[in-house]
Amino acid sequence: MIILVILIPFITGILVPIIPFRKRWHKEVFLETAVVLNSILVWYLLLHHSDSTFLLAHFTGNLNISFRVDGMSMVFAGLVSALWPFATLYAFEYMTKEQHENVFFLFYTLTYGVTLGIALAANLLTMYFFYELLTLVTVPLVMHTLTREAVLASRKYLYYSLGGAAFAFLGLIMIIVYGSTTDFILGGVLDPAKTVGKTNVLLLIYVMAFMGFGVKAAVCPFNSWLPQAGVAPTPVTALLHAVAVVKSGAFAIIRLTYYSFGTDFLKGTWAQSVVMAVVMFTIVYGCSRAVKETHLKRRLAYSTISNLSYILFGAVIMTPLGLVGALTHLVFHAVMKISSFFCAGAIMHQTDRHYVHELNGLGYKMPRVFGIFTISALALMGVPGLAGFVSKWNLAGAAVESNNPLAWGGIACLLVSALLTAIYMLTIVVRAFFPGKDFDYGTISGIRDPNWKMLLPLFVFTVFIILFGVYSQPVVDFFMSVATGAV
Amino acid sequence: MPFVCNFPFFSILLSLFSGTVCSMLPAKAAKVVNRTVILAVGLMSSVLLVYLLSTGEAFIYWMGHFPAPWGNEIRAGVLEAGMALFFCIIMYLSMAGGAHKLPGEVVESKHNLYYILVNLLLSSLLALVYTNDMFTAYVFVEINTISACGLIMIRQVGRTIEAAVRYMIMSLLGSGLLLFGLCIMYDLTGHLLMSNIKESVGLLMANGEYQIPLIVSVALMCIGLCIKSALFPFHAWLPDAYGYSTVSSAAILSSLVSKGYIFLLIKIIYRVIGFDIFNSTRIIDVLFVFGLMGMIFGSISAIKENDIRRMIAFSSVAQIGYIYMGFGMGTQAGMVASIFHILSHAATKSLLFIAAIGLTDVSGGSRKFFDLTGAAYRNKWAGAAFTVGSLSMVGIPLFSGFISKLLFAQAAVQVEGKMLASLIVLGISTVLNAVYFMKTVIRIYTSAPDAPYKGITFRDMKAYAVALVFFILLNVILGVSSQPIVDMIGQGLAMFA
Amino acid sequence: MYLILSSIFFPILAGMFLLIRYRTPLSGEKNADRKALTTLTGSFLIVTAALVVASLLTVEEGFTLFYLTKTLPIYFRIDSIGTIFSLLAVIVLLCAGFFSFEYMKHEERESRYYGFYLLIFGVLNALCFAGNLITFYLFFELLTLSSMPLVLHSGSREAVMAGLKYLFYSLCGAYAALFGIYFLYRNCDSLTFTAEGALRASAVTEHGGFLMVVAFVMLLGFGVKAGMFPMHAWLPTAHPVAPAPASAVLSAVIVKAGVLAIIRVLGMFGTDFLRGTWVQTTWIVLTLITVFMGSLLAYREPVLKKRLAYSTVSQLSYILFGLAMMNGSSYTGALCHVLAHGFVKAVLFLCAGAIIYRTGKTRVEEMRGIGKEMPLTMWCFTIASLGLIGIPPTGGFVSKWYLAVGSLESGIPVFDVLGPVILLVSALLTAGYLLPLTIHGFFPGADYDYNMLQKKEPCKWMTVPVLILTILSVIIGLFPDIVINLIRMAVTG
Repeated sequence: MIILVILIPFITGILVPIIPFRKRWHKEVFLETAVVLNSILVWYLLLHHSDSTFLLAHFTGNLNISFRVDGMSMVFAGLVSALWPFATLYAFEYMTKEQHENVFFLFYTLTYGVTLGIALAANLLTMYFFYELLTLVTVPLVMHTLTREAVLASRKYLYYSLGGAAFAFLGLIMIIVYGSTTDFILGGVLDPAKTVGKTNVLLLIYVMAFMGFGVKAAVCPFNSWLPQAGVAPTPVTALLHAVAVVKSGAFAIIRLTYYSFGTDFLKGTWAQSVVMAVVMFTIVYGCSRAVKETHLKRRLAYSTISNLSYILFGAVIMTPLGLVGALTHLVFHAVMKISSFFCAGAIMHQTDRHYVHELNGLGYKMPRVFGIFTISALALMGVPGLAGFVSKWNLAGAAVESNNPLAWGGIACLLVSALLTAIYMLTIVVRAFFPGKDFDYGTISGIRDPNWKMLLPLFVFTVFIILFGVYSQPVVDFFMSVATGAV
Repeated sequence: MPFVCNFPFFSILLSLFSGTVCSMLPAKAAKVVNRTVILAVGLMSSVLLVYLLSTGEAFIYWMGHFPAPWGNEIRAGVLEAGMALFFCIIMYLSMAGGAHKLPGEVVESKHNLYYILVNLLLSSLLALVYTNDMFTAYVFVEINTISACGLIMIRQVGRTIEAAVRYMIMSLLGSGLLLFGLCIMYDLTGHLLMSNIKESVGLLMANGEYQIPLIVSVALMCIGLCIKSALFPFHAWLPDAYGYSTVSSAAILSSLVSKGYIFLLIKIIYRVIGFDIFNSTRIIDVLFVFGLMGMIFGSISAIKENDIRRMIAFSSVAQIGYIYMGFGMGTQAGMVASIFHILSHAATKSLLFIAAIGLTDVSGGSRKFFDLTGAAYRNKWAGAAFTVGSLSMVGIPLFSGFISKLLFAQAAVQVEGKMLASLIVLGISTVLNAVYFMKTVIRIYTSAPDAPYKGITFRDMKAYAVALVFFILLNVILGVSSQPIVDMIGQGLAMFA
Repeated sequence: MYLILSSIFFPILAGMFLLIRYRTPLSGEKNADRKALTTLTGSFLIVTAALVVASLLTVEEGFTLFYLTKTLPIYFRIDSIGTIFSLLAVIVLLCAGFFSFEYMKHEERESRYYGFYLLIFGVLNALCFAGNLITFYLFFELLTLSSMPLVLHSGSREAVMAGLKYLFYSLCGAYAALFGIYFLYRNCDSLTFTAEGALRASAVTEHGGFLMVVAFVMLLGFGVKAGMFPMHAWLPTAHPVAPAPASAVLSAVIVKAGVLAIIRVLGMFGTDFLRGTWVQTTWIVLTLITVFMGSLLAYREPVLKKRLAYSTVSQLSYILFGLAMMNGSSYTGALCHVLAHGFVKAVLFLCAGAIIYRTGKTRVEEMRGIGKEMPLTMWCFTIASLGLIGIPPTGGFVSKWYLAVGSLESGIPVFDVLGPVILLVSALLTAGYLLPLTIHGFFPGADYDYNMLQKKEPCKWMTVPVLILTILSVIIGLFPDIVINLIRMAVTG
């Protein structure tokens, strides 16, 4: 069962180029059915999960590839499987303008399986395995357009990701050698008997592994691949580079921190301060770069960099509350960012405009898209009543609770970043709706909102942004039970 | 003594004689003989391996039934048999993969010379693997050098001759040092058989006599073999030698010849000097440091390279650095990791060389990166194989490279003083590997809109493609079910003692 | 409960309805059915005002609408401080709203203006009725966002820049305040408003020093909205570019949201906690600097609306000064000045608007003889000016009186005397920058060409609201007891 949800996307993906579809919509129906089916399966699995571990294969020694559903997996797998069908639907429409569709959908669907693999992995090795795989299956997506820019971007993406994994690997080794098991157990698996006198080395390796996984989560200074990777088609940028791939990095760090090294071991050490400082810097840095950036998608990518570090900030507070904050932002940011990216994609698809300064006045021509964009912008800023506020509240609350002065400084970083978020998001909104007195509306005639395939996902995401904003209690309660290990 | 115990001797002799026989045969027949011999040796090695695994202990085979300390001995354990089998597999696949290129690379009249050299090389490798006698080892080291030089030079292009001369000089320097060391050792102990030397060395060490000459001798032998196996900074001969020789030669040279020397070094460490005594000298620290430097500088040179073959060759420098790092850790685990890496690197590097030739062939024979743009679309099999090889080199799970990285890192953690250095260098080196291999992979998968080169289909290169498939399989097998192999290595090392 | 909710959500929904129903036309054309639009807006305004008054009159317990998260209730309650601010808001918004019907004739995209105007109305009501800090913060952010389009309204580059500046300053302040809310939340039992301080005793002993910093950050943060130095720069930029009635609302009411916020925060921390600390001292210094600087800048400013905006900066810090002194009289003075300044400043801006509407003149030196052209308007302007200066019998006098008394009573060294002195100097400056208009307006001098004179008095839609507000500002001064009693109630709870 659990392996099935990983396999179905693989099989579907591989079938796409093989089956000779007569019409395009046949392919669409086939893909969408498979993806929806898989998502339903995932949710079924999550809701009826048992604690048993599914062992796929022995790897070497006591290492094995195995899968299990625990709280964290439920959060991430649930998130990914909820977003994927919408993103696929959106991709059908978006890809009408691009080439090599089959290759695109092949890897796009493969990525689904691999991401689920990361989410459902029961031990560090399995996660590492899928983590590396994720890099490989997403490279063709970045390279998709095969322009020089895309090639450079994918090259950089590969270097960074593989390089990061190389250092994350060191963390894996430490857990293999000094842990009692590599399985994920909330609270960590380090064996106190083995770690005597090795604390500092372990901490150093933790920092390295953190930075290693942090490459995918675009932690500064390893973030420059993400904006560049924005050359990929928008469904990729939106789903992978705002949710699946980058969140895998954050997810891996949470696994590493809470489930492998353990917060008891790390909390209050210099390692915590170091990673927290890095994360805080990234929060501000990402936003500042976003303000400077004029390319719409790249701007959003920088925003992602900053927001990912929100998640990591929650994670490195290293308290259950911190984890709750991190998880809240993990899920909420996914919805907000994918929504704004899809808006950007819709704009590009309908108008072929890529730069912020080209968006003047479009708010009147594409009111739905820009309305939704405005909502997601406000949510990202953290306006109360929308999803972003709740996650920020949880993060800041955890930071306050932790009694760690550095974390208090982190709150300030969050708020500075919120301000910068307002700057880079709302300037777009203002441009779109207030193009200026002498704006020539003739230049934007003929531009319309996109069709339902693009709008439906956007509406759904917006509904969730608002829903999470006003009524998030059940979700947050669930995160709480994950963080305390009750699930 | 069961009949199986004759197999090591048979394999050496068979390949040696087939080499001689080949000189009288036409090229085509020589090819058949060559393949058959490799297959036969492989078969014998596997039977031997099965036998040794079932008995669980090594045996010593007296050549001509003269007992020690006068006679010449062959010794076969699990490790030796396994290594021989592995060498045969790689050699067969490399020959098969490069066969279609041979007419273009070597003049018709020299074809049977080529096969002679390959057979001789095989015999010398087998002898290095099996022998229990230092002098025999030295003799076959020289045979190995000569045949390797021949293999480089047989493609008569200006660069190859230069490369061969360079290789010759460096190699001879290496063998010279080895010989010196050997002489001193002989002088000190009065023995040439490994087991006997070890006894005497143990006594000398225990009595505290002749410490310095002993160390000097060990150091000389080590350096000699290091030069021959291209440990940084003695790697200057390598890129040209691997980069310009024929495909099969490059694959064999990089994956087998240097590995033969390294295997000899392992034997010297275990069977001549004794593992613990060796570890108590500072030599391992030197090896360790040079290993680490090799890992970094080899990769940096590879990054700077603009020629795919030379890039792969430089990557060998880095990989050999890994192996010596494992030696330098001075633990059993480090040694196991190194030996596994010998296998993994051999499988991967020959795969890369063979795949690279497929790519250059469809790019007008040019090995410059620019011309390789989109080559993977023109030769899909070579593209896929090169990708697999690269991923393995970078250490992606499922492929052999990951396991060796895993073993190295696990071994490193257990060595107090060297842990951080090795872990960090391991990480950096992986990053560097990723840089140049992934650069190439992306390059060959970038479609070139106006490429003037024609693609090639499966039908035109059946043998080649099949060889690639087997290489990939070998890689994946090493990567997925490594545990039995690692166990076997451990068992083999235990038999060394 | 339903009254309060409807007084909040009815205008918001009505505003949204206007925004969607009258989709703004693309090019510069005017709304065709202007009459329908204004009638609709007018009735919405009246209904809202009625709802607010009704909810103020009915005595109600607080109620929780829903929970954002388990510990964050959205909670509404009407208390006397809220009542004062709410009264101000209703009156000014109503008057300025009716004023707009005429004024907005010469602007584009009226429906957008009215839509956001109604939104602001609802949000302001919610701010006044908010019962805890989270609810307050929610609507505080919404206020910023919904009032920004008014600043942006003309769409000129200058307006857009001013709007963004407004936005970023406000958000900056809001986030600084949010920083404090996080810590308050941790150190209080609940975020429900009180006047006695909600900090846990244990928290005060443990993190007292840090909580001071938090308090200061919150004061600064909310102070942004109230135009307190050093974050006042947005105000003179943003207020003048909006249409005049909008400027009136911004200057008279919306900035008061910052004041209300500070009153609430002071209540949360409790004056006992802050009295006599460095926080109080620094704060007093900042307000005094602002008072003086605002007046000085206003004095130098040639453009009328900007001059009024600087004046707002200065006057708001009167209020803040009163709060900062932290005693009964100064507090009374501050609350009284909230009303007095609110009415007066609305009058001044509306008059300025009327002048612009009728003559197009924006700079002070162009306005010679304006009193002859628009006598009624200028009379109102003059009375309002006197109120701002603080000459009896206007409201300004009462409030300043209490401020000065409170300051002298406070017994804080140096500032008990320095404060009133600076207030006086500033009052002189106020006279200096407002009265020349009256003087030159009514006495243009010998060389004024009376033949050019035209009667330009605006129509009743404009004059009546101005008159009402002027009368109100005088009433506060004539019958201060009504207001003072109300305030007493607020102070004593």
